[in-house]
Formats: sequence, C-alpha cells, structure tokens
Amino acid sequence: MQIGFLLIAMVLSVFAARLVQLQGIDPQDYAQMAAAEGSQIVTLPATRGEILDRNGEALAETVDGRMIVADPAVTAAVAPELATLLSDRLGVDYFDTLKRLRTKGSRFQYVARQVPASKAEKVVSDVAEKFKDDKGRPFAGLMTERDPLRIYPNDEVAANVLGFLGTPKNDGSAQALAGLEDSFDRYLSGKDGEARYQVGAGNQIPLGDNTVTPAVDGKDVRTTIDRDLQFYAQRVLQQTVVRAAAESGIAIIMDSRTGQVLALADYPTYDASDPYEYTDELYKSSALTDVYEPGSVEKVLTISSLVDAGLAFKEQKFRVPGQLNRQDRPIGDYWDHGTIKLTLAGIIAKSSNIGTVLAADQFKRGQLRSYLEKFGLGQQTRVGLGGETKGLLPKGAAWTSQVGDRIAFGQSLSVNALQMAAAINTIANGGVRIDPSLIQGEATTDDGAKVGSDAAGTRRVVSADAARETMLMMERVVDPDAGVAPRAAVPGYRVAGKTGTAQRVGKEGRYDGSTSVSFAGFAPADDPRFTIYVVVHSPRSGSGGGSVAGPAFSKLMSYTLRRYGVPPTGAKPNQTPVEW
Amino acid sequence: MSSTASALRSRLPHAAPRLAQAALERARLTVVPRRRTTAPRVPFVTFVSIILLAGVIGLLLFNTSMQQASFRATALEKQATDLSAQQEALEMDIQELRGPQRVAQAAQKLGMVIPSTPAGVLHLGSGKISGHPTPASAEDSIPLATPGPRKPASLKAKTVKVRADGAPARNR
Repeated sequence: MQIGFLLIAMVLSVFAARLVQLQGIDPQDYAQMAAAEGSQIVTLPATRGEILDRNGEALAETVDGRMIVADPAVTAAVAPELATLLSDRLGVDYFDTLKRLRTKGSRFQYVARQVPASKAEKVVSDVAEKFKDDKGRPFAGLMTERDPLRIYPNDEVAANVLGFLGTPKNDGSAQALAGLEDSFDRYLSGKDGEARYQVGAGNQIPLGDNTVTPAVDGKDVRTTIDRDLQFYAQRVLQQTVVRAAAESGIAIIMDSRTGQVLALADYPTYDASDPYEYTDELYKSSALTDVYEPGSVEKVLTISSLVDAGLAFKEQKFRVPGQLNRQDRPIGDYWDHGTIKLTLAGIIAKSSNIGTVLAADQFKRGQLRSYLEKFGLGQQTRVGLGGETKGLLPKGAAWTSQVGDRIAFGQSLSVNALQMAAAINTIANGGVRIDPSLIQGEATTDDGAKVGSDAAGTRRVVSADAARETMLMMERVVDPDAGVAPRAAVPGYRVAGKTGTAQRVGKEGRYDGSTSVSFAGFAPADDPRFTIYVVVHSPRSGSGGGSVAGPAFSKLMSYTLRRYGVPPTGAKPNQTPVEW
Repeated sequence: MSSTASALRSRLPHAAPRLAQAALERARLTVVPRRRTTAPRVPFVTFVSIILLAGVIGLLLFNTSMQQASFRATALEKQATDLSAQQEALEMDIQELRGPQRVAQAAQKLGMVIPSTPAGVLHLGSGKISGHPTPASAEDSIPLATPGPRKPASLKAKTVKVRADGAPARNR
C-alpha cells in the first residue's frame, strides 16, 4: 500500500516538474509554438497602382501572375518530354529548361517567371495530369507561386515616360528601373497586408483565430499623355528621323492653355514589355535628360524680350551685312548675302543670326539673361521624371559679350527639349509661362515633391502685347514667300513657328560638324491651342529645321487639331513686311 | 374583523360552554401525515435526455454545417481566384487588340491611312465647310514596324543542332 502511494507520488512529482518546466521556464515560446501549429499566415499583397493615360486607358497595369518552379528530384526522370511541353506552352528555351529540370542536388529551380496566372495554372494542372505515376497520383514536380506581372499593353508607346519594372527582388517586391515607375515607386506600390488564421486539412477552421490586416493598394498615376496621339507622334518622329538619316529625335505636344504634355516622344526608344532586349541607354526620356543647343528657335525668346522691354518692334528696320565682325570671330548667316534690308519680322522669318545680334545689342547687361531665366531656361521643369538636367545658362563672368551675342541666336547655351517647349508655349499662352505637367491632378514622387497639373504654377514673362507681336512675326516663318519653313504650314489654319539649326556638341565634347535641327510652333496662331516642338539630332548634312522638322510639325499639328476638333479661326495670316 | 372574532370567542363560553369546548377540542390542529407521492421519473429523465441529445446533435450538426460551409467557402474562393485570373487574361487580350499599334496595322491592311492634313469643319447652322479638307494619300502612311533592338553580333542566338534522339550532335 505504502509502496503504491510512493509510486503515485513519484509519478506526480515528474508531472509537476514537467509542469514547472513548461509553465515556468519559457511559457511564451511554447504558446507560440502551439499557435503556429495549424495556424497560417498569408501575406495579402497590395496591388500596384496603374499608370493611365489622360482618358483612363492603361499604360501600365499589374495582373495576377505565377512563377513556375520545378523540383528536379521529381522532374529529372521525365525531363526531355517535360521540357518539350514547357517550351511549347510557355515559350521558354528548351535546352535551358532541360538543364534546370535535371539539376542534381537541387529541389527548387525556376522554370518560368511572371506567367499570367490562368495560363500558369493550366499548364501545371495539364502537366500533373499527363505525367501521372503508376498508381494514378498526379505529377508533383511542378509548383506555382505568386509572382505578380506588370504589363505594358502598348509596348513602345510612351515607354520612355513609363519606365518599367525589372525582375522582382528576392523578397518578391517590385524593382522599378526607370521612368514614372521609378519616380513614383512608393506612390504606386501601396502597403502589403497580412491575414492570420487557423487551418485544418487545408481549410480555414470556423470560429478559429482570425485576424486580417487589409492591404493598402497603391494609387493610380494618371498622366496627361494621350495614348493615341503619343503613338502617332512616335511613328511620325520615327519616319522623320529615318528619312533624314538622323541619329535621334524628340517630339513634344503640349496643350498651350494648361501646359499639359499630351505626347512626349523619343526616337530611338525601347519596348517596355521587353526592355532587356535593348541597351540601357534607351531607358530614359531624352526630352528631359539630354541637353543640346537650341539654335534659332531661341531667337523667339530674344525678340519677344526685346519687344517686351520696349527696345524693338516688328516693323523696325535693320541693315544686315553679310558678315558681322565681333571680337573673337565673325558671325555669319546660314545663307550668303550682301547687305540686305530686313525688318525685325524679316529677321525672324529668314532666321538671320546677324540681324538678331544687331537687335539684341539694345539689351542692357544682364537683361537678356533675366528674361531667359523667367522663360524657364537653366532650371528643371520638375514634371516628375527622374534624371532631368537643368540645362546650361551661363552667368556672371561666363556671360561675356561674345557669349551674349551667341546666346541671342541660340548657341552657347543648352536646354532640354521640354524646357524649350515650355518657353515657346509662353508666347502661345499670351506671355504667361505655365509649368509643363505630365501628371493629371497631383501625385507625390519618392523625393516627396508634389507634382502634376494641380501644382503647376504660372508667371508672366512678357506682356500680352509683346507675345502677340512675337506671334505675328513667327507667323511669317511659315509664309511660302517670306519665310523659311513653308512646309510647316497647316492648310486652313494660322500657324506661328520658328525653325532652328544648331551646331551640335558630339560625343568628344566639342562641335563635330553635326547639327540639331528643330521646329517649334503653335496653332491656331490667333487663338493657340497646341504647342508642338520637334527636334532631330544629327540629320544628314544640308538639312535644316524647316525641311526636316517642319513637315513633322505640320503632320502632328494637323492630327492634333483634328483629334481635338479645333476649327480654323477663319482669320487670314498677317502680312507684316519682312524687307524694306 | 379580528376584533369581532375575538369578541365572539370570548362570548362563546358563556353562551354554550360545553358544546363549544368539545367543538374546540375537535377543531384543534393536528399534523397531517405526509403523503408520499411517487412522481413518475421516466418522463423527466426522457425529457432531459432528449434536450441533451438534441443539444449535442444540434451542436454537431451546426459544427458540421459550419465545416461544410468552410469547405465550400474555400472551394468558392479558389473558383473566384481562377475566374478573376481568367478575367484578367481576357482583359489583357482586349487591351492587346485595342492597342493603337494593332488597330493601325489592321487599318493599313485595309488600305486606310491617317491623313496628314486637318479635316474640314462642317458648320451645322450654315452648312458651310471651313478649312481645307484634302483626301489622304498613300504618302500619309506611317511606318508600323519599329526597328527593334540593335544587338551586337555576339548576342545573336546561336543555332544548336541536335540529333533526332535528343543527344546534342558532336562536331565532326
């Protein structure tokens, strides 16, 4: 009897000791282990926001995707047949897949990544069915895992603006590599959520523990780009660059009244759905990242500043010699002439460097620079794309009188194309510069800057009268008799514009004989709706802004006016004399 | 009332002393013998058992139905996921088909081009046409193929020859 009690006491004290061990020493740990057993934590991934065009068409969107993973320990036996099937169905490389399916000592090999979910599940279930084992169990060598897929349904359209997402990082998060995807990464990404619940045999246990932290989806970025117009602009630009045997080109279409960029085309560009096929030099928007000397297009800014300062008027008479000897080297015009008699309008219409320099002599020191600064040169446009250059506007001691002469006709300073388009748009918008915008409404970049059409500021640069007088002079540029760019005209509409041909700094950092030709203008001239700027770098020699960029401008302007249903104003073009 | 009763009682011995005494004697209260009734136990036990059983069975059924619902929920969720994946795939197809590139290709195949001049505007009030509408010509066609990536020769895909039995052919 006593022995019996003793035995019971011993057994009980063993239990007691175990109890102390469990409850006393590390209860938290055990509680967690118990909770982990049978409970499941699922990350609720936030959906990345879309990038839309101005009409709500998706330019970039996220769809549910899967990665297909193989377990070589299982797949090695049927590798050739399986690889054939996979390369047929998924378009993966046969030999590469074969090698992966046979990898020794591995239990995890990627077969394909970012496959649309429905396709991936279908392939895996077909494989499971086809390669059943002897006992009729489904094949277990292939698995799927979540791998969201970013698609760019329009391929090259606006790729330079959008950027793209590279192969996801190891933790599955997206890796934005260029364009808006990169500069608005945080805004687009959102925040992942988490669900925690208890499971039994693969099903959620009713009334079990269940906590859900919902995911916060990323916000959409709505751009001001018009997809169809962007497509057309890219194709017209391609045609222009190829026909001129040029190196590259840029075309910008802007709403004159709001400063919204409707199209921002680059050539050459890349395919956002297949970016790794292209060199990474193309992953940019050269309208913002590249600088060049604007050439004669800049004369518009010089002349309008002169008119605004009350130092010139459109019929003012100038005697323009064939060559102008200044301190360091003579200034010439692009065509040979003796002394000719041009009005200020004629200087613009014929694009005379000498005439512009003579007119600009009226400026007091620093006056032109402060105007150009107000036009936005030498400052970033901050439309929300990374890697933008400021351009170069010499100041202080660097602004010598020779530099000042050359700046007056658009050399010795450098700009990016969007800066220049916004500056010309100032004239179209009655002398008020409006910040260009690429985002509709407002969005926050990763740098914390709020950008977009709601944040666009305005400032008056020249008076409305000066802007109008400049417009009248620019209208003479497309005149078939008086101007140099009749091919930029749009039949039935009044068009104001300006050509540009500038020496180009080559890769070695000095003028290499190549040129940048351009045309900037707006229409209808007497009630401007759109400002278009076309730049072509390094066309075959002998080409000018009027012959290369002018026809592209005319095509783009015609299309835009038609697309937005802008009727002609019905007024006749002005006939300000160009000679006297 | 109690006062009249006590008055009556006090008067009684005088009125009918003997008779009343006897009556009183008889009317004295005695303990009633306890009646041992045997309530039938069976119905009660049955009743309680039924309630218990019903409770247990009900709970079991409830639980089972919850489980069943959970299975169904899981199956339906999977179906929903499948369907939304399918929907996404279809939407992708639509977008592919609606893309400007594809539409332009289809249109150009039909001999259509995007005119390079602005359209005329028909004023409904006066019936007049303003602008200079001109018909589009073949000149207006735009290039539809992009040059594609420029690759160095070293990146060109190599042609690998294999024998029909799957083994790579040896260089001979």
